[in-house]
Amino acid sequence: MNIGSIDRSATGDLGWLHRIAPATKLLALGVVLATVVVSWNAFLVLALAIALVGVGASGRLDLRMLLGLAAYPGLFALLFAIASAPDALTGGVVFLKAVCAGLAAVTVVLTTPYPQVFAPIQRIVPGLVGDALLMTYRTMFLLLDKFGSLLRAVRLRAGLRGTHPVRSARVTTQALGGLLLYSFDLAQRDFDILRLRGYSGRLRVRATRSRDRRVDAALLGGALAVLAMSVAWRLGSQALNPYSWLLPLPALLVLAVGLIVSRRAS
Amino acid sequence: MSHIHIPDGVLPVWLWLPGWILALALVSIAGHFAEKTEARRKVPLLAVVSALMLVAMSTEIVPIAYHVNLTVVAGVLLGPALSVIAAFIVQIVLAMLGHGGVTVLGLNTLMISAEMTIGWALFRTLVALLSRTRVRWAAATATVVTLAITTTLLVGIVALAGGSAASRDTGALDPRSLTLANPLGQGVVHVGLLSGGERLVPGSAETPIVSVRRFAIIVYSLGSIGWIIEALVTAWILGYIARVRPGLLWHGALLEHGRHLIGDEVGQSR
Repeated sequence: MNIGSIDRSATGDLGWLHRIAPATKLLALGVVLATVVVSWNAFLVLALAIALVGVGASGRLDLRMLLGLAAYPGLFALLFAIASAPDALTGGVVFLKAVCAGLAAVTVVLTTPYPQVFAPIQRIVPGLVGDALLMTYRTMFLLLDKFGSLLRAVRLRAGLRGTHPVRSARVTTQALGGLLLYSFDLAQRDFDILRLRGYSGRLRVRATRSRDRRVDAALLGGALAVLAMSVAWRLGSQALNPYSWLLPLPALLVLAVGLIVSRRAS
Repeated sequence: MSHIHIPDGVLPVWLWLPGWILALALVSIAGHFAEKTEARRKVPLLAVVSALMLVAMSTEIVPIAYHVNLTVVAGVLLGPALSVIAAFIVQIVLAMLGHGGVTVLGLNTLMISAEMTIGWALFRTLVALLSRTRVRWAAATATVVTLAITTTLLVGIVALAGGSAASRDTGALDPRSLTLANPLGQGVVHVGLLSGGERLVPGSAETPIVSVRRFAIIVYSLGSIGWIIEALVTAWILGYIARVRPGLLWHGALLEHGRHLIGDEVGQSR
């Protein structure tokens, strides 16, 4: 998980998705998740996954990173599917559901700075929880960087060797222990800095507004249309299922348009 | 087992929604309880411990689809009240990075909280029984027992979700929506894509959403390898801390070391 790249993508002004208000993106994410919850039609879920990749491409996101991050929950879902699904098709749908939810969540994270992603949650939880949530993400960067440096130092001193797995594991965990102690010192330092800057028990995040409300409305409208289609397919499955195979076609069109936009922009 | 790697839309609404409500209620109670004392100091502490868990969870052992969690380490250092908050924070960040479902976030928070709290209680009990010189044994045993308990909890949740026909009524699985008639009629492109149990035959017995027995066998067999890895890592880390900075284990992570800012020597603003 390259969190540095995620942050660079989120804070850059790459495409139309970056210009949408974070609240709209989170709302659209909720609608897409509702679609994932409702849908059990393999073609519909497949179409949704293809469309989400297309949306990501049109927003000029790094597709390798988008797909890589979405594949992570997919891998665990695959294990769950193998372990529990009654047949291959249900297993496939379970896998696709995970990929769809992952793609939607990752698209939001790759196009929105993290304080804006967590700001709505901060408003509904106690101040301590909201503040810790905002600080966690930042601290994660510092710790990942530090852990990488620690492991590099250990490797240079021949502490990590494939021929000595037990010794390597012990050294790695000692590095983790060192990281833990470093993180407590970091917490103390952070606390001192916060206090010096007049921290009174609440970090405030100002919500970013949309740059073009029509684009916001289009994104939300698109997400709602997909949800409506999924609900319709659920309710009228007997009549609509013969046409399920049509669903991936518009999704492929979205993907093609997204790829063209992405290629032209680069 | 730490948390549920079940995608959104697999567990029925009646299961994940109460999970969300219960988790939010617990987080609110824990948050208000924590805010009463030394709230400002706890914010960076919670952040670093949560971040540390996230760093550990971001490294996956691919063949067994397992990653180290450090939940017992975090539980021992934070105690039960802060553990609930840390679990919630970790799950939100993971869900936003696509690592875990959003709908199962509440259940995941409850699972991790349980793991941290049980781990903390077992570690304390074992250290009291074995003495402080056997931190590694206490940590390893506490970790294995904790993970065995939470894995059983996970299997129980899956059994609740998949074992009941009621789950279909709430949107978990509707075989009718999976039924695909031949789109071009009379078998032109019929390739049997959707054959294999998804077609609803009137009067037939419903297929359960998941095979709980198979799930339990795989989770216990692969999970037990993970328990050993987690126990070794936890034992080594807690052993290292016991040797280097024992105060963190026996007096808690919020132990005051007598540090004061310049101009605040009496520590009035704490």
